[in-house]
Amino acid sequence: MSELNFVGKSFKRKDGPDKVTGRAVYSEDVKLPGTLIGRILRSPHPHARIVGIDTSKARALPGVKGVITVEDTKGVKHGFVETPRYPADQEVLARGKVVHVGEEIAAVAAVDAITAQRALALIEVEYEILPAVFDAERAMDPSAPEIHPSHPKVKEEYANIGGKSEGGWGDVERGFAESHYVREDRFESQVRTHGYLESQVTLAHWEGDKLNVWTSSMGNFVKRAKLAKTLDLPYSAVRIHKTYVGGTFGGKIDLFSHEYCAARLSILTGRPVRIVASREEIFSAFRHAQPLIVEVKTGVKKDGTILAQQMRVINDAGAYRGSGVVVVFLAWGFTMAPYRCPNLKYEGFSVYTNYSVRAPQRGHGCPKVRFAIESQLDMIAEALGIDPIAIRLRNARQPGEELPNGDNVHNGNLPACIRMAAEKSELLKKYGQARKTPQTGHLRRGIGIGISAYFGGSLVYPNSSGVMVKMNDDGSAIVLTGAIDVGQGSETIIAQIVAEELAVGMDDVKLISSDTDATPQDIGAWVSGMTYITGNAARQAAGNAREKLIQVAAEQMKVPVEDLWVENKEVFNRRHPEQRMSYAQVFAASVATRRGDTIVGEGFWRTMRDEPTHPSLATTKGRWTENYAFSAQVAEVEVDIETGEAKLVKAYTVHDCGFPINPALVKGQVDGQVSMALGHAFLEEVLTKNGYTLNPNWLDYRMPTIHNMAASEDADVITEEYRVGQPYRTKEVGEGLVSGILAAMGNAVYDATGVRLYSTPFAPDRILDGLKKLQLKQAAEIRETTTEMQWSQP
Amino acid sequence: MNHLHSQAAEDAAGQAHNGSKRRSRCIALNINGELHEITVQPRKMLIEVIRETVGLTGTKGSCLSGTCGACTVLLSGRPVLSCITLAVECEGKEIRTVEDLAQGGKLNALQEAFLDQGAVQCGFCTPGMLMSATALLERHEKPSLAQIKKGLEGNLCRCTGYNAIVDAVLQVSDQGVLPVMK
Repeated sequence: MSELNFVGKSFKRKDGPDKVTGRAVYSEDVKLPGTLIGRILRSPHPHARIVGIDTSKARALPGVKGVITVEDTKGVKHGFVETPRYPADQEVLARGKVVHVGEEIAAVAAVDAITAQRALALIEVEYEILPAVFDAERAMDPSAPEIHPSHPKVKEEYANIGGKSEGGWGDVERGFAESHYVREDRFESQVRTHGYLESQVTLAHWEGDKLNVWTSSMGNFVKRAKLAKTLDLPYSAVRIHKTYVGGTFGGKIDLFSHEYCAARLSILTGRPVRIVASREEIFSAFRHAQPLIVEVKTGVKKDGTILAQQMRVINDAGAYRGSGVVVVFLAWGFTMAPYRCPNLKYEGFSVYTNYSVRAPQRGHGCPKVRFAIESQLDMIAEALGIDPIAIRLRNARQPGEELPNGDNVHNGNLPACIRMAAEKSELLKKYGQARKTPQTGHLRRGIGIGISAYFGGSLVYPNSSGVMVKMNDDGSAIVLTGAIDVGQGSETIIAQIVAEELAVGMDDVKLISSDTDATPQDIGAWVSGMTYITGNAARQAAGNAREKLIQVAAEQMKVPVEDLWVENKEVFNRRHPEQRMSYAQVFAASVATRRGDTIVGEGFWRTMRDEPTHPSLATTKGRWTENYAFSAQVAEVEVDIETGEAKLVKAYTVHDCGFPINPALVKGQVDGQVSMALGHAFLEEVLTKNGYTLNPNWLDYRMPTIHNMAASEDADVITEEYRVGQPYRTKEVGEGLVSGILAAMGNAVYDATGVRLYSTPFAPDRILDGLKKLQLKQAAEIRETTTEMQWSQP
Repeated sequence: MNHLHSQAAEDAAGQAHNGSKRRSRCIALNINGELHEITVQPRKMLIEVIRETVGLTGTKGSCLSGTCGACTVLLSGRPVLSCITLAVECEGKEIRTVEDLAQGGKLNALQEAFLDQGAVQCGFCTPGMLMSATALLERHEKPSLAQIKKGLEGNLCRCTGYNAIVDAVLQVSDQGVLPVMK
């Protein structure tokens, strides 16, 4: 009974055969007769008042079936965050003014793409240009152009503040005063895009009383809620259908204007409407991640124990609130989670700038926070003469530790991750070699470590997941789950859990997923909790079906329930194993004797069941998560000191994901995050000038190709176990692992070259600049020594 | 910002639509061994014909400008980007798409290897990646790492970091890599 047959094993993806044969249906593959093509008119200006919009010529163009502006909407606002403090702030189409290049002003639906495009050109918009601001710190200056008024509850005299988070404990001033060593540093990051291969695609079809939507999404129940709200429809009138999703990485949650426009145009025209964003639109007008300025001051004892830490984070959050205020909350969490810190003071500002709205992106701020703290920690260690492993072990939270916010580390084991990462990579043997021994040639090798902690599910709408398991007459099962497989493998792991709990084969489990009409509500693939929350709901649903099967079998076999158990689609008597009934027989008996009961199991799960809601974004008070996933990652990099080109050669990832339901899928997540991190470290940056994107394509924006791949080794520190019939605790593994490795690469570049970089990406010009400064410094030191020697001569 | 939709193509298309009246042509395309007689405007890209006219949606469009490889199909055995290949150029040539890989409802060894290695996550790059890999393996029975990288350099994948994809090619070419998934 304790032996596991499905969970903990690397089963192939359930969706694999569909995906390698071309059968998998993505949103753009759904074809409906009579579909109109929708297009969006976007702002050419970063900041302008809209004096007037004239759509009459566009409406008159033959082939145009519908044109909408904000006047054709219900005027209901939406926002990534919708709380009393941070109410919805964004119209679905611009009203009165535009605040970023590419902001949606109007939409058309026409019989074909060319007509739609020509109609856009016929829409006349009169603008009054307003001054714009593209730098978060400049935008905070009271004299800066006002994009939106600062949040009324922010007391500082800053302009353009969308929101502020504050957190901490203890007395940092006292902590710094008691410290042996204190240092302050400032780190910055670039804008990186998600790089999902599948564009943003939406097909909407209004059928008189039902809106059917196929859209590239990572949370269909969130999409439904926001579409229904902005369209002023009951939830029951909006159905988001399942499609396969071609990558999201954080960039496809929340409502997007094109989704609303496709829906509204379908309602107005009575025909299906499809809108596909071009790659240029995605780069220029859609949401990217949020570049942070992180100022960190840390005080330590002589032995490296952190006594006090003060953080100030400024988020260039784009032209609406978006998830900007969430990032400045999360940056606090990513600061306080991994290391013990008796005195902590955190403040984070989310600042409006005239850039497109920002989205979550794999890690949601964590990579930038850990890059800052882990880089500084290495500098502190060096100043104190401590090695990078020792200083991390000195401060890492221990298993069972309670955090000041009320969360608990439980079995989470960061020290074990650090030790194993150090051991596997032989970091201490390699560290410092490039800087100690004289080097020849133009290649330098370096090694560095970074650690991280990530939350595994929090209380965000819709807060919980439900799953149903329907038994079939033949003993196989259908699982209804709202979980959406965006590539991470949710369908596979849910099938594994159901197969385990129900003792049926993987092929006996079929899933109906992510259809808001057909499946129970689900948290979605964007709060790092699906394996834990939806997985436990699936476990419960399958267990519920198993209990019903056993109950019926007990009646039939006249054996107490406690004596029965299940294996291979059969219920059997543990005392007399030859006495057994197949599920098919039990099912038939249930229908015959229990008023037609077809045996349907139900399960549901909510994290932190005693907490009313998520923590306060403003005060950071309240519990955040019950599952911390810790990790330690080591990077080996190679730097060409002639060209400044650096690359990741090998990554070691040691993580505590609790219990891997499918180790090979976990490994896939690790490799993908290492790749994304190396893109962040060395290649990727959305370049802009005055709000216009200069590199809106994959030739000028360098996403990692196969030539950039790095060796990636990983190991699980397994701190939890899975037992059939018992709740289990898994931790996230899909987005926390961009962070430690990014920081590790920064530390490794330093180890290779002596150049400390405070900004990502670690581009060749920055590395060369650093090398040049080092040379000048060394030359000056030599000159000084020589001068001293001359002076000291008698 | 009307120019966000690959303006050059649209302008050219717009002119064709308005004035110059370039006529549609009737062509016969051999796709996966089946002959399709279709009427296309000369500006139509192969991907549009494959996906919209013939209805084979396995081939994916992503950048539509020849930069990501998602739309890769084989044209007389060579990988081409169907989003920048005119359909009318393909007459008389053999076109192969991802739908042609599995025969008789059975996955071929390359498809199996992709699943064995976890080389598929979101799956959107997969059809193009499989077609590039097919062409690579037709050129090199046992491709070296350098040859694999060269052969797949035009196909972007954001999910896997490419490691599992390389392993899948090594597995199928019998170079000592064993399946990791069961």
